[in-house]
Amino acid sequence: MQLWAQIICEIGFRKLNAFFSFLGLTIAVIIVVASQLIAESDERETRRVTRDMGFNLRLIPAATDLGQFYRDGFSKYAMNASTLDRLATQLTNNVSFNHLVGSLRRGYAVNGQSVLLVGLSKTYIAPGQGKKPMGFVIKTNTLHIGSEISRFQGKNKGDTIQVGTQHFKVSNDPIETGTSDDITIFARLEDAQSILELEGKINEIEAIDCLCLTTDEDPLTILRKEIGEILPNVQVVHKQKLADARAKQRQTREKVNAIVLPFVLLASAVWVALLAVFNVRDRRQEIGILRALGKNSWRIAGLFLGKAVLLGFVAATLGVVLGMWAVLEFGPSLFPVTKKAIQINPSLALKLFVAAPLFAAFASFIPAMLAVSQDPAETLRED
Amino acid sequence: MIRCEEVTKRFNKNGSDVISLDRFSADIRNGEFITVRGPSGSGKTTLLLTLGGMQRPSAGKVCFDGQDLYALSNSKRANLRSSQIGFVFQMFYLVPYLDLLGNVLIASPGKPGKLERQRAMELLEKFDLSNRISHRPDELSAGERQRLAVARALLNRPKILLADEPTGNLDPENASGVIDHFVKFHKTGGTVVLVTHGTAADGFANRSIRLDKGRLNDD
Repeated sequence: MQLWAQIICEIGFRKLNAFFSFLGLTIAVIIVVASQLIAESDERETRRVTRDMGFNLRLIPAATDLGQFYRDGFSKYAMNASTLDRLATQLTNNVSFNHLVGSLRRGYAVNGQSVLLVGLSKTYIAPGQGKKPMGFVIKTNTLHIGSEISRFQGKNKGDTIQVGTQHFKVSNDPIETGTSDDITIFARLEDAQSILELEGKINEIEAIDCLCLTTDEDPLTILRKEIGEILPNVQVVHKQKLADARAKQRQTREKVNAIVLPFVLLASAVWVALLAVFNVRDRRQEIGILRALGKNSWRIAGLFLGKAVLLGFVAATLGVVLGMWAVLEFGPSLFPVTKKAIQINPSLALKLFVAAPLFAAFASFIPAMLAVSQDPAETLRED
Repeated sequence: MIRCEEVTKRFNKNGSDVISLDRFSADIRNGEFITVRGPSGSGKTTLLLTLGGMQRPSAGKVCFDGQDLYALSNSKRANLRSSQIGFVFQMFYLVPYLDLLGNVLIASPGKPGKLERQRAMELLEKFDLSNRISHRPDELSAGERQRLAVARALLNRPKILLADEPTGNLDPENASGVIDHFVKFHKTGGTVVLVTHGTAADGFANRSIRLDKGRLNDD
């Protein structure tokens, strides 16, 4: 008789045992799917929130008077653009920040209007932190202008605007933000340096910290120490509220991954293993007679491991569907993620179709070995 | 066919040594019908399991067709059991979740083919069970269950049938029916070793072994 046919018949016969194993595995799969999707959604949400909030670390020349800096929105001192390169080379190491952008910021007059001119460098992204730069990318010979500048200058997307002696095309549809961005012109760093006649200079580096801290650790001390070792001539300004928002998002994800997930997997493994032990105990005589009929250890182990694999596969199928549905349906109300941030992950489903049967087989391994090592003569002499 | 040389089997029960077979020596020749008798605990079942390659003796040798049975690897011994030996037990030991056909085909060494299925059907027919092939063992009477167990034991055309009190749970009529099947197997050249307390096989056995405290008392 074929192994799979025998397994299916046995599942049909001992429905309760199979059902409870299946239930344990399905719940585990649902929780894995849910936690993974929530974690991924949370990551997306964090990126979105961070992007919306902007960078939370500002590195400015050490000589900067913070009073002047906060009043004007930029440091009147400048540093060499190579400072940014030096910092960027550290991104391949285990540093606590990423997404670096260098900028040169100065007040400037355009056709009698006082504006903030900001030149932005390319974004340096740490490996493994995604590929998309923060904010927007400014192309050669273009500018990104604020809504107040657009209104005052009468310029819109596609129009040409003169800044200093150079002409640029407006690349955006200016929208009122209610922030200083409304009176800001964003240009390529090289263009801003040329307009301001400050070639090779920047006066700020913006970054995002990626500290994974507990509530009792002080991020600013760690960041200042780490950055101070690389760049002694900068001072670090930390936007605490933004950092807190990011930390909250991150901690939500980590709580799920660090506590709930291992607990669920362990509980599920123990549950499946116990049920498999009961199954082996119920089938002692069957194992004995199969031995008497000449079935080898592979066949005996196969009955239990095969059953686990089959249940694991079916549990994966149902668990993936239910898990994804549950996250889509209840995720936004239970976790700090938006429905838009939740996305179905087909590769997760594929991985679970492999992982769940393996997990079930792993949990049933010891019971299967108990079945294999059972002395058939002992059971066959029982009356 | 089977030669036992000074076979001893000791068990440890509650810290004390119990000798189940004590220097048992005997030859079982092809085509013999042997009954094994003896009081409870005399080592009859141990002898049967040892002869069938199911229980390694503590000392001594069991040779099957000239091969030292317990010198073979587990897998070779399992193959030998599957192809040459048929077991029948008092408690039937049927697989409860398989139907009658499945219970016979379970003895097939690999994936059952057309020939095995045909053979299984023939056996079920022969044992008067063919009208119940889709039933499960718990739907059968004791006599029918034992007939099914004998059919299973015969699927692979074994050379020897080792039966441990196969009529112990049966009424005289069913017991006689089961013994008839052993006799038919014997008449076709098969060897039978039958552990029994009853007398149903007395007229057919050509040899009787008596065990007492694991020792061959009478042959």
